[in-house]
Amino acid sequence: MICEDARLLIGADPDAAGHELEEHVRGCDGCRAFREEMRRLNGDIRRALEEPPDIRARAAPRAQYAWREYALAAGVVLAMAAGLAVWLLRPTDTLARDLVTHVKAEPESWLSSHNVSAGSIDHALQSSGIGLDLASDKIVYAQSCWFRGHYVPHLVVETTHGPATVLILRHEQVKARDDFREGGMTGVIVPAGDGSIAVLARGRGQVDDVASELREEVHWLPEPAPTPQSTQQ
Amino acid sequence: MRNPPVQSPVSSLSERSRAAQARASLTALFESMRPDLLRFAQWLARDRSLAEDIVQEALLRAWRARDALKDPAAARAWLLTIVRREHARLYERKRLELVSLDDTFDIPDLAAAASADAELLTLRAGLMRLPLEYREPLVMQVLGGFSTEEIARELELTNTAVLTRLFRARHKLRGLCGPSPAPGAATGEQPA
Repeated sequence: MICEDARLLIGADPDAAGHELEEHVRGCDGCRAFREEMRRLNGDIRRALEEPPDIRARAAPRAQYAWREYALAAGVVLAMAAGLAVWLLRPTDTLARDLVTHVKAEPESWLSSHNVSAGSIDHALQSSGIGLDLASDKIVYAQSCWFRGHYVPHLVVETTHGPATVLILRHEQVKARDDFREGGMTGVIVPAGDGSIAVLARGRGQVDDVASELREEVHWLPEPAPTPQSTQQ
Repeated sequence: MRNPPVQSPVSSLSERSRAAQARASLTALFESMRPDLLRFAQWLARDRSLAEDIVQEALLRAWRARDALKDPAAARAWLLTIVRREHARLYERKRLELVSLDDTFDIPDLAAAASADAELLTLRAGLMRLPLEYREPLVMQVLGGFSTEEIARELELTNTAVLTRLFRARHKLRGLCGPSPAPGAATGEQPA
């Protein structure tokens, strides 16, 4: 046995014994001294370990450790659940919601089956500075309504699939077509000119054809100065 | 058709009584070892409250697995092993927050270094500061009475790795507070 091996054994366990080790230690003063030193040190280590370490009491007792961890985990789960709920219950497009709210506030618009006079249609359109080439015999309801701070034409047109509500929104820009279903209604908002056109139908009514047709037939005229009118919303 | 033999209520009561006695005896044995287990856990965890949690959990596990303890004489080593594993489990699970020892450990007053206990205090501080990889086998060996082979098995290390860790642990402590090397004594460097 060489000194390195002997000292590894002695340093790892000062009380280690073995024929080879004993034989080496007998003939090596350095390793013998090292073992004596290690045995003294080991005695000190044993005495040092006999008493528990002098640990100060922690400000936050560890007894609460598990509780804190569970609370943290529960908090994370709750936060995730809340986030999911918020996402699931998030309001749909605000403009779409406002449109549905507005249309539902005028239920009589769905009941009309008579053609509206050209004068009424003109009034509804011109108040907002809008021209429309649509045949007047398709329009069964025409009002100029206060919507989001502006007067907008609120029309109901007869289609082969039933009545469809049209709101021409000069001041509402949308970046792209927005289909929605809200409050039992189907709708679409399409960009048109500087604003947009919204078409809504009850249930799963057809709105695409109307929206496409109206985009071609709407003209944006200079906007007239606001004047007091009806305050429907 | 023969009826099954009827168990005597007397012998049944006697068996229950013996079982109750055995449970009481085991409970007493476990409780008698609690201070040792707590000290062992404290040296591993370096946190009194955490050590108490570890011991509590370890005793619970031990009680559930009490049938595995065939020889009561082996109870101490068995319980220490469970405590160590519980500490390791907690350590792995929590990746225990790093705590400044200055906040938790009473560093020996240098003014007291002149006293006879100064060396012991310094040694205790050194033990607390030893990294777990060195402190754990050393505490197991000195306090737990485990052999290097048992430590190697428990820590899933080779015997040589355990010898090296124990050697280095003592070397660090020796460097911290050990006596001056005797003439011709080893330098304490780790052997190859």
